[in-house]
Formats: sequence, structure tokens, C-alpha cells
Amino acid sequence: MPEAATQTANQTATRTRSGDDMKILVLEDDRTTGDYIVDGLAREGHSVDLLTEGREGLIRASTADYDVMVVDRMLPGLDGLSLVRTLRATGNRTPVLFLTSLGGVDDRIEGLNAGGDDYLTKPFAFGELSARLAALARRPQMKAEETVLAAGDLKMDLIRRRVTRGGVEIDLLPREFALLEHLMRRKGRVQTRTMLLEAVWDLNFDPQTNVVETHISRLRAKVDKPFAQELIETVRGAGYRIAE
Amino acid sequence: MSRSRRLWLSTPVRLAAGLVALFVLASLATLAASYAVTRASLAEGLRDDLRAAVAGYSAAPTPGAIGDLVNAEAQATDPRRRIISYLSPDGRRYGNGYLAPGEEGFRLYPLEDLQLENHLPYLAFTARLRGGLLTVAASQSQIEDLGRAYVTLLLVSLLPSVVIAMAGGVWIARRTGRRIDGLGAVLDRIAAGELSARVAGPHRRDDDLTVIGERINDMASAREAATEALRQVSADIAHDLKTPIQRVSVLLERLRGVEGLPEEALALADKAGAETEGIAATFQALLQIAQIEGGSPRARFALVDLAEIARTLGEVYAPSAEDSGHRLDLAIAPGPVRVTGDRALLGQVIANLIENALRHTAPGSRIRLSLAEDAGGARLAVEDDGPGIPEAERGNVLRRLYRLERSRTTPGSGLGLSLVAVIADLHGAELRLEGADPGLRVAIDFPAVKKSSPDAA
Repeated sequence: MPEAATQTANQTATRTRSGDDMKILVLEDDRTTGDYIVDGLAREGHSVDLLTEGREGLIRASTADYDVMVVDRMLPGLDGLSLVRTLRATGNRTPVLFLTSLGGVDDRIEGLNAGGDDYLTKPFAFGELSARLAALARRPQMKAEETVLAAGDLKMDLIRRRVTRGGVEIDLLPREFALLEHLMRRKGRVQTRTMLLEAVWDLNFDPQTNVVETHISRLRAKVDKPFAQELIETVRGAGYRIAE
Repeated sequence: MSRSRRLWLSTPVRLAAGLVALFVLASLATLAASYAVTRASLAEGLRDDLRAAVAGYSAAPTPGAIGDLVNAEAQATDPRRRIISYLSPDGRRYGNGYLAPGEEGFRLYPLEDLQLENHLPYLAFTARLRGGLLTVAASQSQIEDLGRAYVTLLLVSLLPSVVIAMAGGVWIARRTGRRIDGLGAVLDRIAAGELSARVAGPHRRDDDLTVIGERINDMASAREAATEALRQVSADIAHDLKTPIQRVSVLLERLRGVEGLPEEALALADKAGAETEGIAATFQALLQIAQIEGGSPRARFALVDLAEIARTLGEVYAPSAEDSGHRLDLAIAPGPVRVTGDRALLGQVIANLIENALRHTAPGSRIRLSLAEDAGGARLAVEDDGPGIPEAERGNVLRRLYRLERSRTTPGSGLGLSLVAVIADLHGAELRLEGADPGLRVAIDFPAVKKSSPDAA
């Protein structure tokens, strides 16, 4: 009954946002997880197709045009790795986020080698999935020659390594600068803790303590605290973002 | 090790050398014995000959007759072969050479006594005959020739055998050496986690090396199958249990979203969510340990800068340590400290050790992350001045899911140090837990990087 499992959820979902809509294909054989992903993404305003079988997923992925795909590594019919390898061999470059129950060191590398773009280990929080999908689908967003970033009254000069807010100079440590730059370049988009660890410190693990939170609070103490308006927002259950 | 030394140490060359030595000894003994026997019989024949010659003259009635006989015989005799000499009672000498007669019987004349070209000792037999002394001496050249013949025989038969045997040994050693190198290379690859490595074949002959090669292949196949089975089981368990865990966390998140829920219910949902995350983290760590113990991450090893990793993690944890009232000191060697390994796993090791120290020491404690390098390799250590671990318990804390009684209430999976231990083992590093008076010192000594390794990218 794979055909019965197909559904287009955007017709029923309430749209909470617009402009950022993506067309997303989800290949996940567990219905509870699949429905949850579809429901969450549809609420964010995306158009989502869910399939539960590998071969059918491959056919759909190669015939329709999606902005991003979510692929479970273990699918009946055709496993996720083979599916993405086949897709890449045919020249399809749609960004793929793998979902896995494994999550060992090797599995991550295997997934990336097979042509996956990102990797998420079960169980995951929806916020993590949503933030990573947004990052994948809109990757080439910023122009490379942009040397001054701005958000509200916050200005960041990437060449002179200067940060000012309302004309007041803010003194940042090199890694605080890198953290702020990462958030500024992705203005309005949620960055999760693990995404920040990967991007700013090049570390691929899930710390058991609140390391990222403490770095953010240090950054806030310099960037936000002395000023009236808070720029670095906390998104509950997901991560942080710079307000647009 | 030099090429020639390796060749000398190879079994076929040593076997060939040993066999050649044995063969030479046996041949020498046989030749020596046969030479001694032949020489003795030749000497005996010579003596009989001389006795018979002397006896031939005993028929002559007077010394004069003997003298005439001696002269007649001597004229027809080459003194280089035989000398006949008679000293009559009246002092006259007869014969083809004068040999000063001594006692009766046999004696050897050294060459310097003879005014002859033949530079060989003569065997002389002297007998008293009709009042005079008759001496017949024969050249020993036959016996000397025999000696030369045996030396020639030795050279002609033995030398080529030695040369051929040694050359054969070296040739076989080179050939088997290549095959043994091949077997060694396959074993190295298997040890490095490349379980699909196999000894090339099949060889034409069913020799011992082919049999060993087949056994290595059997072993590798068995290991590969076992690893694959373990992987499959892990994957199955992970899939079968993580999917429901995922569902639980999905359901909890939905529960939180239900409108009009009392504050208490929300708090319970949050707690349940945190527990679910804990279960997932334990699972994750167990799966990771199983995978690392399989050895497969070793195939990805590269030269990495441990100093950079240590500095990064020190920086990542500094604010957390400060917020929890700890002091995190870094004593990291300047410049790169290279080890052969996996960056993500090494980062995980340092993170686990720092988190462990933060978790098990009271606020106000000091934690010191140090990295030094000496000729033996990189030395990483995380030290705290907390309560430490009793010496008797130190081995236990590396066991999976083991926790000290006093740590039951602190968060953590009980897998942090086990994971550190398997990662250290994967890197060929030595992990030590030591008392730090007070506190705990966890030291990891990495092996020195081999000189031949390429530079890290």
C-alpha cells in the first residue's frame, strides 16, 4: 500500500509563513515519524510529499523537482544510501538530508560519501530537522563579496574585523566574531547548537553539557545586553537566530 | 633493516646455508677417511715393495757380487723414482745415489739430504747384507700425488655444490620473500580494519605458503562475517528500538503542543523528553563503541594536529567550566602535535574527559588539560583536584555502564570513559587512570608518528 501512503500535506495544513516555501520529499517508512515530519513542515508552509518505499521514492525523486529531500537510511525496497547514490549517478543534485537510526562515526561518513548533504540521527527534535533543511535548500544565499553585514543597528565589517552597534564599538574575541558572523550571514534562519558547533568549531558531536549556550550567552552579554533591543533570539526546541 | 640483512634472516637462505655446511662437513669427513685408508695402503705397498727389492739381493754370495748387482740395477733405475745404494764392508759405495745408511729398517729421508731435483722425501729400507748395508729408497711421490688428487677432487666436487646450493637458497628466499611480504601486507591491512583484504591466488602449487594464505583468507572472511553480523545486529537493534524512541519523543512534543495544558503536565512532558534523550544518548554511545571496536574507523586515519583539537575543545568548554564555578587550565604544547587518527573521535575523547571532570568535581575545582610531545609520542592528560577514584575502582570505571556509587545521582550514561578507552585503543594509545593527590588524572599516551607518514593535508 505504498501508494496509499503518499500524501500531499500542504493542502490541509495551516500556513504560518510565506515566501520561504519549499517543495520537500520525505522518504520515511515509520508512519508516526513520517506524519510528524510532514505535519511539522506543512505547518511551516512547505509543500511536502511522503513516501514509505525506496524504489517508489527513487522514481518520484527523479521525476519531480524538489528543493530538498529527507531520506531515511533504512527503507524497504531500496535502502536510502543506494537510492541517493543512484540519484547522484543520474546527475540529480537535489540536497539530501539523511535520517538514521545508526549514527555511528562510520555511518555519517558513509552517508556523506553516498552523496548526502547532511545527516541527522534519530531521535531528533523537529527544530533540528527544520533548521538543517532550511540551511540545505537555501545554501547559496549570500553573495561572497559582501564585506559588511548588518542587522538592525548592528554592523559587522568583515575586512576590518570591527563590530559596532548604534555606533558603539563592540570588542569580540576571534571565536565570538566567527559565531556572530555565522549567525549574521544566515539572518532570520535558525541555527541549532550542533550546527553552530560544526560551523564555528568544526566539531561533529553532541555535547552532553550546555557548551553552545554558554558561548551564546557570552556573545549576548556583549552584543545585546547593553542595548535596548535583543538581536540574538532563542528559538525554543531548536536554536538561535539573528532577528531579521 | 637492510636488504641483505633481511635476505640473510629469511628461512630459505638460512636453511640452505645450514644444509651446505652439513654437506661440506660430511663430504670432508668421507674424503678424509678415504684419503687416510688409500694413503695407508699405498704406504704399505711401498714398504712391501722395498722389502722385496732388498730380498732380491740376498741371493748374491759376496759383497762384491752384491755391489755389481746393485750397480747394474742402479744404471737402469731413475734416481728420481728409486735410489739403490750399497756400502760394502770395505767401505766401497755402489748404486745410483748415496744414502748415508743408518739403522736397519725403514726411515724417511727429508729432501734436503738429496742432491736431486726431486724435492720429495724418500722412504728408505736398510738391511745388513753380507757385512755391508743395502739401502733401497723409493720416492713418496705417489703418496703426495694422492694428496693432490684428493684436494682437486674436493675443489671440483664441493665448491660448485656450495655455490649452487647457496644461489638456490637465495633465489628461493627472494621468491618466498615476495610471497611472505604479500601475506604480511594483507595481515597489516586486516589489522588496520580493512576486513575485505584477501591474499591473492590461487597459486599453482599446494605448498605451505598457499595453505597459510588460504587460512588467512578464511580468518579474514570469518572476521568480516562476524563484523558484518555484529553490524547487522546493531543496526537491527538500533532500528527496532530507536524508531519507537523517536515516536515517543514525537508524541511528547505533540503533547507539549496541546493547548490549555496545566503547567505541571508541561513539566512532566519536559522531564519525559529529557529521559528519552538520555536513553537515546546511551544507545548512541553503545552503537559507537561497537563500531569503533570493529576497527573500521582506522581505515580513515590521517595525520591530525592534536594540539589544535585540544585548544578548540579547551575553548569550547571554557565558558561552561567558568559558569559552573570550575577553573579550566590549558597547558598545550605550542605548534602542531601530530598523531595518526580520526579528528572527530579524538575531539570526542577530550570532550568526554572534560565533561567527566566537570560532572564529578565540586564547583571551585581545578581542571587541567595538558598536551605535550616527546620522542615517545604525544601525551594528553586531563587532571582534576576533585574526589578522584579509589585505586581499586579505577579498572572498573572503564567497564561499560559502570558507575561509582556516589555518581549514581549525577547525570551521564556511564559510557564516557568506556568510549574514551576504546577510542584510545583504536589509536594504539595507552590509557592510564592515576591518582593526582587529590583528584584524578587521566593520561593518554599516543604512539609516535612514523617518519614515513605523509604530512597532514
